[in-house]
Amino acid sequence: MARLGMVIDLKRCIGCNACTLACKQENGTPEGVHYARVITREVGTYPKTKRTFLPVLCNHCDDAPCAQACPSGATWIRSDGLVLVDREKCIGCRACSVACPYMNRHFIEKGLLQHGYGTDGLSPYEAVKFLEFEEGTNTKCTMCAHRVDQGLEPACVVTCPTDARIFGDLEPDDGKLQKLIRERKGWTLLPECNTKPSVFYLDE
Amino acid sequence: MTTQSITIAEHRFGYGFYRQVWWNWLIGTAFFCGGLGAGLFLISLGTDYRLGMVLGYLIVVVGKNTAHLLYLGRPERFWRAALRPDRSWIARGIWACGLFAVSGAILLAPMILGAAWQVPGEIADAAKVVAIGSGLVIMFYDGFVMNQSAAIPFWNTQLLPLLVLMYATLGGVTLTITLGALQNYESRETAWLEKVEPYLLIANFLLLCLYLLRMWRWTPAARETVRMWVKGRYARVFFGLIVAVGLIATLTLSLVQQQWQVRGLSLVIAGCELTGDFSLLMLMLKSGLFAPQTAPAFEPRGNGR
Repeated sequence: MARLGMVIDLKRCIGCNACTLACKQENGTPEGVHYARVITREVGTYPKTKRTFLPVLCNHCDDAPCAQACPSGATWIRSDGLVLVDREKCIGCRACSVACPYMNRHFIEKGLLQHGYGTDGLSPYEAVKFLEFEEGTNTKCTMCAHRVDQGLEPACVVTCPTDARIFGDLEPDDGKLQKLIRERKGWTLLPECNTKPSVFYLDE
Repeated sequence: MTTQSITIAEHRFGYGFYRQVWWNWLIGTAFFCGGLGAGLFLISLGTDYRLGMVLGYLIVVVGKNTAHLLYLGRPERFWRAALRPDRSWIARGIWACGLFAVSGAILLAPMILGAAWQVPGEIADAAKVVAIGSGLVIMFYDGFVMNQSAAIPFWNTQLLPLLVLMYATLGGVTLTITLGALQNYESRETAWLEKVEPYLLIANFLLLCLYLLRMWRWTPAARETVRMWVKGRYARVFFGLIVAVGLIATLTLSLVQQQWQVRGLSLVIAGCELTGDFSLLMLMLKSGLFAPQTAPAFEPRGNGR
């Protein structure tokens, strides 16, 4: 049984937000909805300061708290480990948003699909892409399940100019991802939440 | 990492604590109506006070459920929320509300519509048991709905269901006493409730202190929320509405009422207590913070990495 996941090499990330834009373009998410984003922080004391970057996306947790909190069963976990939302079952209670410690659940507010990024209503692109969303329901990163099903990698992975993102199967112990995680002491975000994320980070 | 080194992030691309922005005043109103209504219904059932039972029932069935429906993004699919009682406290709450609505209606129908609506004794007894059980669940389940979220450390404690249960009980007792006083309804039980109320207020105050103390020693996000309550932007609401109005004024006035039985004072007491109760729930929701997405590279090390 596969468990799809990702390893993000922070040594390579330059904080260019190409992943953020690629995700926006691929998924056509409405204004304010960012499945992928890069958290930026300045550390150090002047004049020795540095900007550090943390690219984040849905962690597709093995013990997904959003799926556990969902009262309607709209959030479900696919056999390959991807956490998905059946929008037709979603009641818009936002329990998943409150349950996700990574802030990676997004609610489509009423009226959000009526306007795009431009000023004159929806662009033809947005008019098509917005059909995949429904007002009053929750949405999230699918790790580009539609691309994965065609044997492609997620948009953020193929776009990353520094190859900081590696996508693959976390299950085999001798696989590419597990080897990287083992050798470079990979870690996950907020391990104290016991969600068993499928996105690992490297910075050694 | 210290709390002082982390601020509240203005947006999701920034680093820091993140505000809980999804559960708003409608959810707060629903939780408030649920606790208060179920508390009033059960206390009134115990004191055989019919008006309290009817009012408590209406607060839950109309007030709570309306607030929930208004909040939902897709209210027409509300029934789906009942599908996962095995793992979701929201689903369990829906079941409790449904059972309460049916069993409460069976109990109240003969009182309101006449003896023709009287059901056989065994069914009435069963309805009473179900109403008590589901009413109890409604009184505390919102605490479990909130503490199920490990993402918000300030909510993620077993003290929360106890705190909301205690406040629901206090609300039920206060409103039963007030309605009884307005209607000149006197019984041995309501007299006992008047004596119990000050002790309940003190117990709630101690529990609230224990809660904040526990959270102060919990995680940085929980500590930051306590800081906001005690010294930060919510200090006025906490000390003014929750402590001064909701607890101290209610306690003082209820002791005055016991001593001198001032006409109309019970209404002021109820107003004070309900203000504190509602403010506490709203503040709980509003001040919930998510922990920062921490990376080793984010740790301040003097000159960065």
